[in-house]
Amino acid sequence: MAFREEGRRMRLRRTGRVPPDARVRHYDELDDATQATVAELAGRPRTAPESADLEDGDVVKFTDYYRIRAR
Amino acid sequence: MSDSYVIVGDGISGASAAETLREEAPDAEITVITEEGESLYNRILIKEFAKGKLPEAPISIHDESWYDDHDVDLRLNTLVVDIDVENDAVRTHEDEVIEYDSLLLAIGGTPQQLPVENADADGIHHFWTFQDARSIKESVEDADRGVIVGAGLLGIDFAAICGAQGVEAKYLMRGDSWWRYALSNEGAEIMHEAMRERGVEPVFDSGVDRFEVDDDGRVEAAVDPDGERYECDFAGVAIGLNMNTEIVEGTPIETDNGVVVDEYMRTNVDNVFAAGDITTFEDLVLGEQAKNGSWGSAKEQGTIAAYNMVEYGSEEFEWVSSYSITHFDFPFLSFGHPTLGDDSVEATTDEGEWRRVALKDGRIVGGVLIGDLSPQSAFKQLMREKRDVTGQTELLMEPGFSVDDLAASTEH
Repeated sequence: MAFREEGRRMRLRRTGRVPPDARVRHYDELDDATQATVAELAGRPRTAPESADLEDGDVVKFTDYYRIRAR
Repeated sequence: MSDSYVIVGDGISGASAAETLREEAPDAEITVITEEGESLYNRILIKEFAKGKLPEAPISIHDESWYDDHDVDLRLNTLVVDIDVENDAVRTHEDEVIEYDSLLLAIGGTPQQLPVENADADGIHHFWTFQDARSIKESVEDADRGVIVGAGLLGIDFAAICGAQGVEAKYLMRGDSWWRYALSNEGAEIMHEAMRERGVEPVFDSGVDRFEVDDDGRVEAAVDPDGERYECDFAGVAIGLNMNTEIVEGTPIETDNGVVVDEYMRTNVDNVFAAGDITTFEDLVLGEQAKNGSWGSAKEQGTIAAYNMVEYGSEEFEWVSSYSITHFDFPFLSFGHPTLGDDSVEATTDEGEWRRVALKDGRIVGGVLIGDLSPQSAFKQLMREKRDVTGQTELLMEPGFSVDDLAASTEH
Protein backbone atom coordinates (compact mmCIF):
# COMPACT_ATOMS: atom_id res chain seq x y z
CA MET A 1 0.00 0.00 0.00
CA ALA A 2 1.34 3.42 -0.97
CA PHE A 3 2.09 5.92 1.75
CA ARG A 4 0.04 9.08 1.65
CA GLU A 5 1.54 12.50 1.99
CA GLU A 6 0.09 14.38 4.91
CA GLY A 7 -1.84 17.58 4.45
CA ARG A 8 -2.79 17.17 0.81
CA ARG A 9 -5.97 18.69 -0.55
CA MET A 10 -8.14 17.23 -3.26
CA ARG A 11 -10.41 18.58 -5.95
CA LEU A 12 -12.83 16.97 -8.36
CA ARG A 13 -12.45 17.58 -12.07
CA ARG A 14 -15.18 16.60 -14.47
CA THR A 15 -13.85 14.03 -16.92
CA GLY A 16 -15.42 12.96 -20.17
CA ARG A 17 -13.44 9.77 -20.61
CA VAL A 18 -12.89 6.99 -18.09
CA PRO A 19 -9.61 5.13 -18.67
CA PRO A 20 -10.02 1.32 -18.55
CA ASP A 21 -7.35 1.11 -15.83
CA ALA A 22 -8.92 3.76 -13.58
CA ARG A 23 -10.40 2.80 -10.25
CA VAL A 24 -14.01 3.93 -10.51
CA ARG A 25 -16.06 4.45 -7.36
CA HIS A 26 -19.77 5.11 -7.24
CA TYR A 27 -20.97 7.75 -4.78
CA ASP A 28 -22.86 5.05 -2.84
CA GLU A 29 -19.61 3.18 -2.12
CA LEU A 30 -18.08 6.09 -0.23
CA ASP A 31 -18.27 6.64 3.52
CA ASP A 32 -20.58 9.36 4.84
CA ALA A 33 -17.86 11.99 5.27
CA THR A 34 -16.46 11.40 1.77
CA GLN A 35 -19.95 11.54 0.29
CA ALA A 36 -20.45 14.95 1.89
CA THR A 37 -17.11 16.15 0.49
CA VAL A 38 -17.87 14.88 -3.01
CA ALA A 39 -21.28 16.56 -3.01
CA GLU A 40 -19.63 19.78 -1.87
CA LEU A 41 -16.77 19.78 -4.40
CA ALA A 42 -18.43 18.37 -7.52
CA GLY A 43 -18.65 20.98 -10.23
CA ARG A 44 -17.10 23.68 -8.07
CA PRO A 45 -13.57 25.14 -8.13
CA ARG A 46 -12.97 24.21 -4.49
CA THR A 47 -10.62 21.95 -2.59
CA ALA A 48 -10.95 19.99 0.64
CA PRO A 49 -8.61 17.88 2.77
CA GLU A 50 -7.85 14.59 1.01
CA SER A 51 -10.26 11.82 1.96
CA ALA A 52 -8.95 8.48 3.19
CA ASP A 53 -11.63 6.80 1.08
CA LEU A 54 -10.33 8.21 -2.23
CA GLU A 55 -6.95 8.27 -3.96
CA ASP A 56 -5.38 10.58 -6.47
CA GLY A 57 -6.49 9.39 -9.92
CA ASP A 58 -9.70 7.73 -8.78
CA VAL A 59 -12.81 8.47 -10.79
CA VAL A 60 -16.06 9.04 -8.88
CA LYS A 61 -19.49 8.60 -10.46
CA PHE A 62 -21.74 11.25 -8.99
CA THR A 63 -23.95 13.50 -11.13
CA ASP A 64 -21.14 13.21 -13.69
CA TYR A 65 -17.76 11.47 -13.78
CA TYR A 66 -15.17 13.29 -11.69
CA ARG A 67 -11.45 12.60 -11.48
CA ILE A 68 -9.75 13.08 -8.12
CA ARG A 69 -6.67 15.27 -8.07
CA ALA A 70 -4.86 15.29 -4.73
CA ARG A 71 -1.90 17.63 -4.27
CA MET B 1 -7.53 -28.29 12.93
CA SER B 2 -8.50 -24.93 11.40
CA ASP B 3 -12.10 -23.73 11.05
CA SER B 4 -13.81 -23.99 7.72
CA TYR B 5 -16.15 -21.32 6.43
CA VAL B 6 -18.38 -21.67 3.40
CA ILE B 7 -19.91 -18.60 1.79
CA VAL B 8 -22.68 -19.01 -0.77
CA GLY B 9 -22.72 -15.94 -3.01
CA ASP B 10 -19.93 -13.66 -4.25
CA GLY B 11 -21.72 -10.32 -4.32
CA ILE B 12 -20.53 -7.52 -2.08
CA SER B 13 -21.87 -9.10 1.13
CA GLY B 14 -20.27 -12.50 0.49
CA ALA B 15 -17.01 -10.96 -0.68
CA SER B 16 -16.73 -8.55 2.25
CA ALA B 17 -17.34 -11.51 4.57
CA ALA B 18 -14.52 -13.44 2.87
CA GLU B 19 -12.17 -10.48 3.26
CA THR B 20 -13.01 -10.08 6.95
CA LEU B 21 -12.79 -13.80 7.66
CA ARG B 22 -9.34 -13.95 6.12
CA GLU B 23 -8.22 -11.06 8.34
CA GLU B 24 -9.81 -12.45 11.51
CA ALA B 25 -9.02 -16.12 10.96
CA PRO B 26 -5.74 -16.28 9.01
CA ASP B 27 -5.54 -20.08 9.07
CA ALA B 28 -9.17 -20.85 8.27
CA GLU B 29 -10.35 -22.66 5.17
CA ILE B 30 -12.62 -20.34 3.21
CA THR B 31 -14.73 -21.43 0.25
CA VAL B 32 -16.84 -19.04 -1.83
CA ILE B 33 -19.47 -20.59 -4.08
CA THR B 34 -21.27 -18.60 -6.77
CA GLU B 35 -23.58 -19.62 -9.56
CA GLU B 36 -22.34 -16.67 -11.61
CA GLY B 37 -19.51 -17.17 -14.07
CA GLU B 38 -17.48 -14.24 -12.79
CA SER B 39 -16.13 -13.10 -9.46
CA LEU B 40 -17.07 -9.97 -7.52
CA TYR B 41 -17.93 -6.97 -9.66
CA ASN B 42 -19.39 -3.58 -8.88
CA ARG B 43 -23.13 -4.08 -9.09
CA ILE B 44 -23.88 -0.38 -8.71
CA LEU B 45 -21.78 0.49 -11.76
CA ILE B 46 -23.22 -2.03 -14.21
CA LYS B 47 -25.98 0.46 -15.10
CA GLU B 48 -23.22 2.79 -16.28
CA PHE B 49 -21.90 0.02 -18.51
CA ALA B 50 -25.39 -0.51 -19.96
CA LYS B 51 -25.66 3.24 -20.59
CA GLY B 52 -22.46 2.99 -22.63
CA LYS B 53 -20.62 5.32 -20.23
CA LEU B 54 -18.14 2.84 -18.74
CA PRO B 55 -15.98 0.06 -20.19
CA GLU B 56 -16.06 -3.37 -18.57
CA ALA B 57 -12.67 -3.30 -16.90
CA PRO B 58 -13.26 -0.83 -14.03
CA ILE B 59 -16.40 -2.72 -13.00
CA SER B 60 -14.48 -5.78 -11.85
CA ILE B 61 -13.50 -5.60 -8.17
CA HIS B 62 -11.89 -8.99 -7.46
CA ASP B 63 -10.25 -10.82 -10.32
CA GLU B 64 -9.66 -14.51 -9.80
CA SER B 65 -6.07 -13.94 -8.64
CA TRP B 66 -7.46 -12.12 -5.56
CA TYR B 67 -8.88 -15.42 -4.34
CA ASP B 68 -5.55 -17.22 -4.88
CA ASP B 69 -3.66 -14.43 -3.14
CA HIS B 70 -6.00 -14.64 -0.13
CA ASP B 71 -6.13 -18.44 -0.10
CA VAL B 72 -9.87 -18.47 -0.78
CA ASP B 73 -11.28 -21.40 -2.75
CA LEU B 74 -13.57 -19.79 -5.37
CA ARG B 75 -16.12 -22.00 -7.12
CA LEU B 76 -17.65 -20.21 -10.12
CA ASN B 77 -20.68 -21.54 -12.05
CA THR B 78 -21.60 -23.65 -9.05
CA LEU B 79 -25.14 -23.92 -7.76
CA VAL B 80 -25.85 -25.00 -4.20
CA VAL B 81 -28.89 -27.27 -4.34
CA ASP B 82 -29.16 -28.46 -0.76
CA ILE B 83 -28.12 -27.48 2.74
CA ASP B 84 -27.81 -30.20 5.35
CA VAL B 85 -27.77 -28.36 8.68
CA GLU B 86 -27.70 -31.62 10.64
CA ASN B 87 -24.40 -32.62 9.09
CA ASP B 88 -23.05 -29.10 8.43
CA ALA B 89 -22.67 -29.52 4.68
CA VAL B 90 -23.88 -28.08 1.38
CA ARG B 91 -24.38 -30.07 -1.81
CA THR B 92 -23.70 -28.59 -5.24
CA HIS B 93 -25.46 -29.26 -8.57
CA GLU B 94 -22.59 -31.62 -9.40
CA ASP B 95 -23.33 -33.60 -6.23
CA GLU B 96 -20.20 -32.42 -4.48
CA VAL B 97 -20.60 -32.21 -0.71
CA ILE B 98 -18.72 -29.38 1.01
CA GLU B 99 -18.62 -29.44 4.80
CA TYR B 100 -18.47 -26.33 6.96
CA ASP B 101 -18.06 -25.27 10.54
CA SER B 102 -19.90 -22.07 9.77
CA LEU B 103 -22.02 -21.17 6.74
CA LEU B 104 -22.92 -17.75 5.30
CA LEU B 105 -25.85 -17.37 2.93
CA ALA B 106 -25.32 -14.30 0.75
CA ILE B 107 -27.68 -15.51 -1.93
CA GLY B 108 -29.65 -12.35 -2.79
CA GLY B 109 -32.69 -12.25 -4.99
CA THR B 110 -33.93 -12.71 -8.54
CA PRO B 111 -35.91 -10.08 -10.49
CA GLN B 112 -39.64 -10.72 -10.61
CA GLN B 113 -41.26 -11.26 -13.97
CA LEU B 114 -44.55 -9.52 -14.79
CA PRO B 115 -47.39 -12.04 -14.52
CA VAL B 116 -48.68 -11.17 -18.02
CA GLU B 117 -48.77 -12.75 -21.47
CA ASN B 118 -45.40 -12.87 -23.31
CA ALA B 119 -43.51 -11.52 -20.28
CA ASP B 120 -40.50 -13.66 -21.24
CA ALA B 121 -40.34 -12.59 -24.90
CA ASP B 122 -37.07 -11.64 -26.56
CA GLY B 123 -36.32 -7.97 -26.03
CA ILE B 124 -37.85 -7.88 -22.53
CA HIS B 125 -35.16 -7.42 -19.94
CA HIS B 126 -34.68 -7.62 -16.20
CA PHE B 127 -31.67 -6.08 -14.57
CA TRP B 128 -29.62 -7.68 -11.84
CA THR B 129 -26.32 -9.21 -12.96
CA PHE B 130 -23.42 -8.04 -15.08
CA GLN B 131 -24.57 -10.55 -17.68
CA ASP B 132 -27.98 -8.83 -17.67
CA ALA B 133 -26.21 -5.50 -18.26
CA ARG B 134 -24.33 -6.88 -21.26
CA SER B 135 -27.53 -8.23 -22.73
CA ILE B 136 -29.39 -4.94 -22.08
CA LYS B 137 -26.60 -2.90 -23.66
CA GLU B 138 -26.56 -5.05 -26.78
CA SER B 139 -30.33 -4.91 -27.08
CA VAL B 140 -30.84 -1.22 -26.34
CA GLU B 141 -28.12 -0.14 -28.77
CA ASP B 142 -30.22 -1.58 -31.62
CA ALA B 143 -33.53 -0.26 -30.30
CA ASP B 144 -35.57 2.77 -31.33
CA ARG B 145 -38.52 2.62 -28.96
CA GLY B 146 -38.65 1.37 -25.40
CA VAL B 147 -41.16 0.61 -22.68
CA ILE B 148 -40.22 0.64 -18.99
CA VAL B 149 -42.25 -0.89 -16.18
CA GLY B 150 -41.62 -0.49 -12.44
CA ALA B 151 -41.88 2.96 -10.86
CA GLY B 152 -39.11 2.58 -8.31
CA LEU B 153 -35.37 2.87 -7.76
CA LEU B 154 -34.50 0.05 -10.17
CA GLY B 155 -36.95 1.05 -12.91
CA ILE B 156 -35.43 4.50 -13.19
CA ASP B 157 -32.14 2.86 -14.19
CA PHE B 158 -33.89 1.57 -17.32
CA ALA B 159 -35.14 5.11 -18.00
CA ALA B 160 -31.60 6.44 -17.72
CA ILE B 161 -30.26 3.68 -19.98
CA CYS B 162 -32.86 4.45 -22.66
CA GLY B 163 -32.12 8.17 -22.34
CA ALA B 164 -28.35 7.67 -22.61
CA GLN B 165 -28.69 5.30 -25.57
CA GLY B 166 -31.05 7.57 -27.53
CA VAL B 167 -34.09 5.32 -27.23
CA GLU B 168 -37.46 7.09 -27.05
CA ALA B 169 -39.29 5.42 -24.20
CA LYS B 170 -42.61 5.33 -22.43
CA TYR B 171 -42.34 4.74 -18.69
CA LEU B 172 -45.61 3.03 -17.72
CA MET B 173 -46.55 3.61 -14.07
CA ARG B 174 -49.55 2.22 -12.23
CA GLY B 175 -50.02 5.28 -10.06
CA ASP B 176 -49.90 9.00 -10.68
CA SER B 177 -46.18 9.48 -10.02
CA TRP B 178 -42.79 7.80 -9.80
CA TRP B 179 -41.99 6.09 -6.43
CA ARG B 180 -45.25 7.32 -4.96
CA TYR B 181 -44.65 5.54 -1.64
CA ALA B 182 -41.65 7.78 -0.84
CA LEU B 183 -42.27 11.01 -2.77
CA SER B 184 -45.18 13.39 -3.08
CA ASN B 185 -46.18 14.61 -6.54
CA GLU B 186 -44.10 17.73 -6.04
CA GLY B 187 -40.87 15.81 -5.50
CA ALA B 188 -41.70 13.21 -8.13
CA GLU B 189 -42.29 15.91 -10.73
CA ILE B 190 -38.63 16.92 -10.53
CA MET B 191 -37.78 13.33 -11.50
CA HIS B 192 -40.45 13.22 -14.21
CA GLU B 193 -39.06 16.37 -15.80
CA ALA B 194 -35.54 14.93 -15.79
CA MET B 195 -36.87 11.82 -17.56
CA ARG B 196 -38.68 13.90 -20.17
CA GLU B 197 -35.51 15.87 -20.89
CA ARG B 198 -33.91 12.54 -21.83
CA GLY B 199 -36.69 11.40 -24.13
CA VAL B 200 -38.45 9.19 -21.57
CA GLU B 201 -42.13 10.03 -21.15
CA PRO B 202 -43.82 9.02 -17.90
CA VAL B 203 -47.30 7.56 -18.49
CA PHE B 204 -49.44 7.57 -15.35
CA ASP B 205 -52.32 5.33 -14.24
CA SER B 206 -51.04 2.79 -16.73
CA GLY B 207 -49.12 -0.51 -16.53
CA VAL B 208 -48.90 -3.60 -18.68
CA ASP B 209 -51.78 -5.94 -19.38
CA ARG B 210 -49.83 -7.96 -21.96
CA PHE B 211 -46.91 -7.80 -24.36
CA GLU B 212 -47.35 -8.42 -28.07
CA VAL B 213 -44.67 -10.24 -30.05
CA ASP B 214 -43.78 -10.62 -33.74
CA ASP B 215 -43.54 -13.94 -35.62
CA ASP B 216 -40.05 -14.50 -34.20
CA GLY B 217 -41.27 -14.10 -30.65
CA ARG B 218 -39.70 -10.69 -30.20
CA VAL B 219 -41.50 -7.96 -28.28
CA GLU B 220 -43.14 -5.35 -30.48
CA ALA B 221 -45.60 -3.65 -28.12
CA ALA B 222 -46.88 -3.35 -24.58
CA VAL B 223 -50.62 -2.98 -24.07
CA ASP B 224 -51.85 -1.28 -20.91
CA PRO B 225 -55.03 -2.20 -18.98
CA ASP B 226 -57.01 0.46 -20.91
CA GLY B 227 -56.00 -1.14 -24.22
CA GLU B 228 -53.53 1.61 -25.06
CA ARG B 229 -50.77 0.11 -27.22
CA TYR B 230 -47.14 1.23 -26.94
CA GLU B 231 -44.86 -0.03 -29.72
CA CYS B 232 -41.40 -1.01 -28.59
CA ASP B 233 -38.40 -3.07 -29.57
CA PHE B 234 -36.94 -2.93 -26.07
CA ALA B 235 -38.65 -3.35 -22.72
CA GLY B 236 -37.22 -3.07 -19.22
CA VAL B 237 -39.10 -4.57 -16.28
CA ALA B 238 -38.08 -3.77 -12.68
CA ILE B 239 -40.96 -4.58 -10.36
CA GLY B 240 -39.03 -6.09 -7.48
CA LEU B 241 -37.05 -9.10 -6.37
CA ASN B 242 -37.98 -12.60 -5.28
CA MET B 243 -35.67 -13.69 -2.49
CA ASN B 244 -33.61 -16.79 -3.33
CA THR B 245 -34.85 -18.83 -0.38
CA GLU B 246 -35.43 -22.06 -2.34
CA ILE B 247 -32.25 -23.65 -1.02
CA VAL B 248 -33.32 -23.28 2.61
CA GLU B 249 -36.73 -24.82 2.02
CA GLY B 250 -36.83 -28.12 3.86
CA THR B 251 -34.34 -26.88 6.44
CA PRO B 252 -35.20 -25.46 9.88
CA ILE B 253 -33.80 -22.05 8.81
CA GLU B 254 -36.51 -19.45 9.39
CA THR B 255 -37.67 -17.35 6.45
CA ASP B 256 -39.95 -14.34 6.16
CA ASN B 257 -39.55 -12.61 2.80
CA GLY B 258 -35.91 -13.67 3.06
CA VAL B 259 -33.73 -15.39 5.64
CA VAL B 260 -34.44 -14.10 9.14
CA VAL B 261 -31.34 -13.08 11.11
CA ASP B 262 -30.66 -11.37 14.42
CA GLU B 263 -28.54 -8.24 14.86
CA TYR B 264 -25.44 -10.47 14.60
CA MET B 265 -26.54 -11.77 11.18
CA ARG B 266 -27.15 -15.24 12.60
CA THR B 267 -30.15 -17.34 11.62
CA ASN B 268 -32.07 -19.53 14.05
CA VAL B 269 -29.49 -22.26 13.29
CA ASP B 270 -26.42 -21.58 15.40
CA ASN B 271 -23.72 -21.93 12.75
CA VAL B 272 -25.66 -20.53 9.78
CA PHE B 273 -25.50 -16.80 9.03
CA ALA B 274 -26.90 -14.63 6.24
CA ALA B 275 -26.02 -11.22 4.78
CA GLY B 276 -27.08 -8.85 2.03
CA ASP B 277 -30.36 -8.55 0.16
CA ILE B 278 -31.51 -11.98 1.33
CA THR B 279 -31.80 -10.99 4.98
CA THR B 280 -34.80 -9.94 6.97
CA PHE B 281 -32.81 -8.45 9.81
CA GLU B 282 -33.33 -6.90 13.21
CA ASP B 283 -32.90 -3.19 12.44
CA LEU B 284 -31.60 -1.66 15.67
CA VAL B 285 -32.09 1.90 14.38
CA LEU B 286 -35.68 1.33 13.31
CA GLY B 287 -36.50 -0.94 16.25
CA GLU B 288 -38.16 -3.64 14.16
CA GLN B 289 -37.39 -6.18 11.44
CA ALA B 290 -36.46 -4.68 8.09
CA LYS B 291 -35.01 -5.35 4.66
CA ASN B 292 -32.46 -3.34 2.73
CA GLY B 293 -30.95 -3.68 -0.71
CA SER B 294 -28.29 -0.99 -0.72
CA TRP B 295 -24.62 -1.62 -1.47
CA GLY B 296 -23.34 -0.13 1.79
CA SER B 297 -25.76 -2.12 3.89
CA ALA B 298 -24.87 -5.38 2.13
CA LYS B 299 -21.16 -4.75 2.52
CA GLU B 300 -21.53 -3.95 6.22
CA GLN B 301 -23.74 -6.99 6.81
CA GLY B 302 -21.10 -9.23 5.23
CA THR B 303 -18.41 -7.76 7.45
CA ILE B 304 -20.54 -8.04 10.61
CA ALA B 305 -21.53 -11.61 9.75
CA ALA B 306 -17.87 -12.57 9.42
CA TYR B 307 -16.94 -11.13 12.82
CA ASN B 308 -19.77 -13.09 14.41
CA MET B 309 -18.92 -16.29 12.53
CA VAL B 310 -15.52 -16.09 14.22
CA GLU B 311 -16.90 -14.99 17.60
CA TYR B 312 -20.65 -14.79 18.01
CA GLY B 313 -21.88 -11.64 19.74
CA SER B 314 -18.76 -9.63 18.93
CA GLU B 315 -20.32 -7.02 16.57
CA GLU B 316 -23.87 -5.75 16.05
CA PHE B 317 -25.26 -4.55 12.75
CA GLU B 318 -26.47 -0.99 13.28
CA TRP B 319 -26.59 0.98 10.07
CA VAL B 320 -28.44 3.81 8.35
CA SER B 321 -28.42 3.02 4.66
CA SER B 322 -28.65 5.35 1.70
CA TYR B 323 -29.12 4.96 -2.03
CA SER B 324 -28.44 7.61 -4.62
CA ILE B 325 -29.55 8.23 -8.18
CA THR B 326 -26.77 9.88 -10.16
CA HIS B 327 -28.23 9.73 -13.66
CA PHE B 328 -29.21 13.38 -13.84
CA ASP B 329 -27.46 16.72 -13.45
CA PHE B 330 -28.80 16.97 -9.90
CA PRO B 331 -28.34 14.39 -7.15
CA PHE B 332 -31.08 12.29 -5.57
CA LEU B 333 -30.65 10.40 -2.33
CA SER B 334 -32.95 8.23 -0.27
CA PHE B 335 -31.89 7.22 3.22
CA GLY B 336 -33.22 4.90 5.88
CA HIS B 337 -36.76 3.71 5.23
CA PRO B 338 -38.52 6.57 3.40
CA THR B 339 -41.64 4.49 2.66
CA LEU B 340 -42.32 3.80 6.35
CA GLY B 341 -43.54 5.98 9.19
CA ASP B 342 -46.75 7.53 10.52
CA ASP B 343 -46.00 11.14 9.61
CA SER B 344 -43.83 13.15 7.25
CA VAL B 345 -42.67 16.66 6.54
CA GLU B 346 -41.56 17.99 3.16
CA ALA B 347 -40.51 21.22 1.50
CA THR B 348 -39.13 22.76 -1.65
CA THR B 349 -36.04 24.52 -0.34
CA ASP B 350 -34.90 26.15 -3.58
CA GLU B 351 -35.51 25.78 -7.30
CA GLY B 352 -35.01 22.09 -8.13
CA GLU B 353 -34.34 21.26 -4.47
CA TRP B 354 -36.81 19.26 -2.46
CA ARG B 355 -36.69 17.14 0.65
CA ARG B 356 -38.99 14.89 2.60
CA VAL B 357 -38.44 13.28 5.99
CA ALA B 358 -40.50 10.29 7.17
CA LEU B 359 -41.20 10.09 10.90
CA LYS B 360 -42.44 7.41 13.24
CA ASP B 361 -43.34 8.11 16.87
CA GLY B 362 -41.59 11.47 16.52
CA ARG B 363 -38.34 9.99 15.24
CA ILE B 364 -36.83 10.15 11.75
CA VAL B 365 -36.97 6.77 10.01
CA GLY B 366 -35.96 7.82 6.51
CA GLY B 367 -36.27 10.40 3.81
CA VAL B 368 -35.50 11.65 0.34
CA LEU B 369 -33.27 14.53 -0.72
CA ILE B 370 -33.33 15.98 -4.23
CA GLY B 371 -30.80 18.56 -5.40
CA ASP B 372 -29.29 19.45 -2.04
CA LEU B 373 -27.77 16.51 -0.16
CA SER B 374 -26.17 18.62 2.57
CA PRO B 375 -28.57 17.58 5.40
CA GLN B 376 -27.81 13.89 4.81
CA SER B 377 -25.25 13.55 7.61
CA ALA B 378 -27.46 15.41 10.11
CA PHE B 379 -30.55 13.32 9.34
CA LYS B 380 -28.57 10.08 9.60
CA GLN B 381 -27.10 11.22 12.91
CA LEU B 382 -30.58 11.95 14.27
CA MET B 383 -31.68 8.48 13.17
CA ARG B 384 -28.73 6.79 14.87
CA GLU B 385 -29.32 8.80 18.03
CA LYS B 386 -33.07 8.03 17.91
CA ARG B 387 -33.79 11.69 18.61
CA ASP B 388 -37.38 12.72 19.16
CA VAL B 389 -37.98 15.75 16.93
CA THR B 390 -41.63 16.21 17.84
CA GLY B 391 -42.59 19.86 17.57
CA GLN B 392 -39.43 20.77 15.67
CA THR B 393 -39.97 19.07 12.35
CA GLU B 394 -40.18 22.36 10.45
CA LEU B 395 -36.57 23.02 11.41
CA LEU B 396 -35.60 19.91 9.42
CA MET B 397 -36.79 21.69 6.29
CA GLU B 398 -34.58 24.74 6.75
CA PRO B 399 -31.75 25.18 4.22
CA GLY B 400 -28.47 24.66 6.04
CA PHE B 401 -30.12 22.59 8.77
CA SER B 402 -27.73 21.26 11.40
CA VAL B 403 -28.32 18.98 14.40
CA ASP B 404 -27.32 21.90 16.64
CA ASP B 405 -30.45 23.74 15.48
CA LEU B 406 -32.59 21.36 17.53
CA ALA B 407 -33.30 21.92 21.19
CA ALA B 408 -30.94 19.89 23.37
CA SER B 409 -33.87 18.54 25.38
CA THR B 410 -34.84 16.26 22.52
CA GLU B 411 -31.75 14.09 23.05
CA HIS B 412 -32.51 10.64 24.43
